[in-house]
Parts: sequence; C-alpha cells; structure tokens
Amino acid sequence: MTRAGPTVEPRYTRTAIVLHWLIAALIVAGFMLGLSMVGLPLSRQKLQWYAWHKWIGITVFLLSCVRLAWRWWHPVPPAPTAMPLWQVRAARVVHGLLYALLLVIPLTGWLFSSASGVQVVYLGLFPLPDLLPKDRALATIFRACHVSLNFTLLALVCMHAAAAVKHHFVDGDPVLTRMLPAAILKPPR
Amino acid sequence: MVLLRSFIPTLGMLLLAAGQAGAQGVLIDRSEIRFVSKQMGVNVEGRFRKWKANIVFLPKNPGASKADLEIDLGSIDLASDEAETEIRRPLWFDTTKFPVAKFVSSAVRDTGVDKYEVQGALTIKGVTRDAVVPITVRKDAAGNSVAEGSFALKRLDFKVGEGEWADTETVANEVLVRVRMVLPPVK
Repeated sequence: MTRAGPTVEPRYTRTAIVLHWLIAALIVAGFMLGLSMVGLPLSRQKLQWYAWHKWIGITVFLLSCVRLAWRWWHPVPPAPTAMPLWQVRAARVVHGLLYALLLVIPLTGWLFSSASGVQVVYLGLFPLPDLLPKDRALATIFRACHVSLNFTLLALVCMHAAAAVKHHFVDGDPVLTRMLPAAILKPPR
Repeated sequence: MVLLRSFIPTLGMLLLAAGQAGAQGVLIDRSEIRFVSKQMGVNVEGRFRKWKANIVFLPKNPGASKADLEIDLGSIDLASDEAETEIRRPLWFDTTKFPVAKFVSSAVRDTGVDKYEVQGALTIKGVTRDAVVPITVRKDAAGNSVAEGSFALKRLDFKVGEGEWADTETVANEVLVRVRMVLPPVK
C-alpha cells in the first residue's frame, strides 16, 4: 500500500463536503430544537420553534435529495484498500441507512403534522399539501415513528462519527480528512 | 386530491345547517362541525366530537325551517392533548363556566337552486352575535339531504383567546367554520 510518490488522495468534491456539513449542522439543530420544543408550555414561542423545526426538516429533505443526485453523478472516493471487507460493508449499510433516514424522518414529521391537522408552511411562505386528513390515532402513530427514527438516527450518527475518528487516529487513513474542508487541512507553515 | 386539502381556506369554529321536514333528526356519524384557524400563518384544523342538532328543513317552505345546535366545547378535537387542555381554560372557551356554544336560527331563506341562507344567533362564552351561514343542499344516493356550509367568525368577538392570546399575529382573529349536516329523507 505504499505509494511511490506523493499522490493526491481522492477527496470528496467541494459540493459534497459542503452538503455533508450543512446537513450535519441542520440535523443537530433540528434534533436539539425538537427535544426542547416539546416541553415548552403552549405559547407563541412554542409555535415558532415548531415552525423552525419543520423548516429545518424540509430543508434537510431537499438538501439530501440534492446530495443524492450529486453523489449519483460524482461517485464517492473508494474505501481505503487496507480496510477489511466487513468494515466496507458496514460503512455501506450505515451510509445507506443515514441517507434513508435523512429522507424518511422529515416525511414522518410532515405526516405527523398533517394527521394532527396542522399544515406545514415552508419558511412561512410555501404551504405544503397535507398528506393525510386530520386523524388523532394516525398522528400518534406518526409521532412515535418520528421520535424513534430520530433516536435511530442519533445512534447511527454516533457510529458514523466514531468510525470517522477511528479511521483518522487508529487506522491513519484519509477517510475523515477527505470529507473535511480543504482549508482546515492546510497546515500553517 | 392531496393538493386540494391544503388549499381549503382558513376555517373557523361553530356552525349549523338545515335539515329536513319533521323531527327526523340528523345522521350524526356522517355530519360534522369542523373549523380551521390560522396559527402563525399556518392552517390548523379542528372539529367538535359532541354536539346536538335540532333541524327542520322544508325545501319548499324555508320560512318554516329551523336549525338549532348545541356544541359541547369541551369535546374539541385539536392537534394535541395539550392544545385541547389549553383551549378549555378561562382565556379561551372557559368550559367550566361556558360548556356549550349555541346557534339558534331565526330565519332560513331560499337564495337560489339548492342554496339557502341560515340566519341566527351564535352564542359562545356568554357572547351572542348574529351569524349568517350560506348552505348548499344536495341529495346523496340514499336520499338523504346533505347540507354543507361555511362561515367565518371572529374569535375576539366572543372573547376566545384573551390576554396573551389576543395577539392575532399568533392566532388569527378569523376562524372558518365548516358544517355538514346529513338529514335522512322524510318518511
């Protein structure tokens, strides 16, 4: 695996890196907001936080669609050749699940909101169609889906981040750094 | 059809409709009293689970028709238990003191083919206001008369949402009420 000369390590494209970190920041914000807002007493603030939470969710959904399309046209750099096959497979499964949840979680939130009889108006400007008629029993089901999928996402994100850190510090491979913005990586000379 | 629902305009709170001749009653399972309010620019739907209606609808003699409704305000169905608890409180419906809303018709007028206008007095939280509800009546396959109508009311007229909730930026003043009453055929 030693290379003769200084080779350029394959990196993610700048667009992929921006989308990755933007979505990461949004899901952390959306998750924290979601956890905090449910406990607020009914108030203008609570309604505002719910609105923001929904806007974040819709944004994550849209950005994830863009990201998947980008990924389709710009294949990701290959796994390091030294990586055991089981790890390559595990990474593929976790990445697949993460992408699935980035799309499904906002949808369950939207379904929950529709079933609750509350319209989603993206950014306060664009009313989204209600996916379901108001139905409290369905709302309870979608709420449970939304919450449990979010905790599944939390677990997967932790695995994902732990693996990245392990690649960097234990394996010494570029799996983490190739997803970091180039500016961070330039060592001050 | 999914698209259609989101464009239903903002609805409101109570309603009434007309029925058919005689004391035939209302097919309550197929009838409904729904409303849409606007919270921070977002349509929020609700309905009442329990209400009573005494309706006499005479298509050929609207003047002798009437529609009296009593709505159990505590039976409101909103987005969450929390919202339902909140709206029963004194700042909103104050259901301990004012458990029911009433509509009592004073006149039913024929306004066109299958169209009528029901005028009456709407009482919520001890405040009575005149209300006019335009309705359309059609027959379903079973021969029932289906009367549907909607009207907007202003919640602040009835002191619904006082204090911190009087702010109409948070909850709009206007509430659109949609009513559907299904009346069995006259025997």
